[in-house]
Amino acid sequence: MKKMYTVSAAFLASSLFLTGCAGFQTGNGNDSSTENEDGKVVLDFWTFWGSEIRRPVIEKIITDFNESQDEIEVQHTYLPWGDIWTKELAAIAAGDPPDVVINDINTTALRGEQNQAMNLAEFLSEDDISGQFYPELWDATLYEGDSYGIPFNTDTRVLFYNKDAFEEAGLDPEQPPTTWAELEEYAAKLDVKNGDDYERIGFYPLWGINYDVWMLNANGHNFINEENDVLIDTETNLETLEWLKGWKDKYGDDVINSYKAQIDSQQGNPFFNGSLGMYVSAPTFYTQIRDYADDLNFGVAKLPEMEPGNGPTSWGGGFVAEIPAGASNPEASYEFIKYLTGAEAQEYWAVQNFDSVANIEAAENAAQSEEFTEDGTMVYSMATEYMSDTLLTPVPVSAPDFMGSVNPKIDEVFLGSKTPKQALEEAQADVESLIEKNTRE
Amino acid sequence: MAKTKSAMRRKETMYGYIFVMPWIIGFLAFTAGPLLFSLFASFTDYNITTQMDFVGAENYQGLFTEDGLFWTSLWNTLYYVLFSVPLTTMGAIFLSALLNQDVPGIRVFRTLYYLPAVLSGVGVYLLWMQLLDPGTGMINLILGWFGIDGPNWLFDPEWTKPSLIFMKLWSVGGAMLLYLASMQGVSKTLYEAAEIDGANTFRQFFHITLPMITPVIFFDVVTSLIGGFQIFQEAYVMSSNGEGGPANSLLFYNLYMWRQAFENFNMGYAMAMSWILFIIVFILTMINLKLAPRWVHYEGGDNR
Repeated sequence: MKKMYTVSAAFLASSLFLTGCAGFQTGNGNDSSTENEDGKVVLDFWTFWGSEIRRPVIEKIITDFNESQDEIEVQHTYLPWGDIWTKELAAIAAGDPPDVVINDINTTALRGEQNQAMNLAEFLSEDDISGQFYPELWDATLYEGDSYGIPFNTDTRVLFYNKDAFEEAGLDPEQPPTTWAELEEYAAKLDVKNGDDYERIGFYPLWGINYDVWMLNANGHNFINEENDVLIDTETNLETLEWLKGWKDKYGDDVINSYKAQIDSQQGNPFFNGSLGMYVSAPTFYTQIRDYADDLNFGVAKLPEMEPGNGPTSWGGGFVAEIPAGASNPEASYEFIKYLTGAEAQEYWAVQNFDSVANIEAAENAAQSEEFTEDGTMVYSMATEYMSDTLLTPVPVSAPDFMGSVNPKIDEVFLGSKTPKQALEEAQADVESLIEKNTRE
Repeated sequence: MAKTKSAMRRKETMYGYIFVMPWIIGFLAFTAGPLLFSLFASFTDYNITTQMDFVGAENYQGLFTEDGLFWTSLWNTLYYVLFSVPLTTMGAIFLSALLNQDVPGIRVFRTLYYLPAVLSGVGVYLLWMQLLDPGTGMINLILGWFGIDGPNWLFDPEWTKPSLIFMKLWSVGGAMLLYLASMQGVSKTLYEAAEIDGANTFRQFFHITLPMITPVIFFDVVTSLIGGFQIFQEAYVMSSNGEGGPANSLLFYNLYMWRQAFENFNMGYAMAMSWILFIIVFILTMINLKLAPRWVHYEGGDNR
């Protein structure tokens, strides 16, 4: 009997302790704890910008904001890439989220649908700032017409080409290829073979970007449209895939693999020493040229179009600033986000990081910046101008992970175990059934 | 006399409970609680933030009947466990037998072979991605010296899983240390007796060393089996886009579960997956425990 008493006392004690914990936790979510001793509202701002280049830039922006007014104090929390979003999710579920978080732009609408990010319609109806940003970026933040995050930065994909190699091959260095046919023709001229080995490869379309960017380039739209129609098994995609497979067969696995490893190693990118004639990458690739191949004579161009008149569509991603659902001071959070995405802070970010920003005015000012070199200005203004032909690919809320069904099928095309037609048919069927499953009931 | 004794025992019992209380509290709050919650959530459409409606066995039914990737990921994981567990166990025993010799400088070798176990995580995977690179990697370079045209390793679906198993062999240091300790614990008198009877080194190894270390082998097999089923990080870092490619060949069970949970926010579905994994591992561990008395030898007791 006594033993029973001891055991139950022990359990009672532990359950008291646990309820104590619970009480403590609910008490933690309210406003009182988010004020500092000066009565300022304290905001917790989560980013993944911890590198020695980016961290000082974002912290300078935060300091400027803190000094610009006396109501709010923003504190920066750095979380590693990859960890930040699972941690944010856990914090939202626990009812104690950060006040502002930097998140992926292409999944913003999904978080709106899942009620993880706060609907910003209320703030925007009073103070509409949507016009400050590139429309394509703004649209990516919308779910059912309301915005769930304010665009921060973005990028696009451009064609870098080696002007000296062009000259050597008898091509006009001021005339980069504008169509796929020209791209092939130029690449063939730029190829330099020594026996079976390549001394220079003209171009390979799948270094730097994936097949899906070429399909976007060819189609001018995403795989899934707003009506949830799946547009994977199409004539254009088939043509694109066959075209890409043709490149792969032309150079062969061994050449492609050994070049790929050099590209992945960054400093060793064959574009730097002239053994690769053309290369597609984000504009920030310029900073690598600057750091590793300062005297390279290069140019930048839009991606070639599939056929004349098809359009040089490119792909971009980016990040938004969001207020997580359940954040305790949304007004203050929004105030800070407005500063963060405003022209002044954005221009500073753009110039310091050589990064494309979402704010149009800031991007255009940065393109004129005297801090850039001549090459830098060339790349940056090209990227800014290209935003009008750059598409984002927001994940469809009906099948966020649909590329996980498409990629393995396309892998098999390049591995030679499926024909392009089979792969596209199967991917189409898989994604259709995925959407059907997710939109049931 | 009897009364004081029982009073003392009661007191001791009470102290005992007080001392284990931190563990009990921790267990209830951080293990049992979440465990029960996840069991419940596996019968709902829980998405972490808003919804949590009861859907019965729908998640389980969906997994078994209409989710091809579930089976792919289960097969990939089984493949990995089936090869990595026996190979790493044998590798660790072999290595510890070598390092159990009494030769000069043996400490240096022990340290060297243990070293990889100290390193872990993403850095090691990135290193291996370089080593395994078909074009410029060290491994294919060395194979080339012997006239062997090395495979495409992480780019060829047939070779991706063998690549990871191969990589796993590199980090047997931890298990090796356990085996080494248990080998050193084997009584010298047994070997002396065997030597007098004329048993050579091989016989000594198979008839004395191996049987004497079976409890450690058993422990190692059970833990690496459980660990093998939980493989995630390797595939997350080393497969293309972290998606389990090429062609889903590295889509392991936990990676697919993670995608369902944190990319699709199908948390209920992912919870159902985790319980299925739990049941699989539980059954396999039970089989192991049942089989253990047949081959595990405990000194100083009849299998207990």
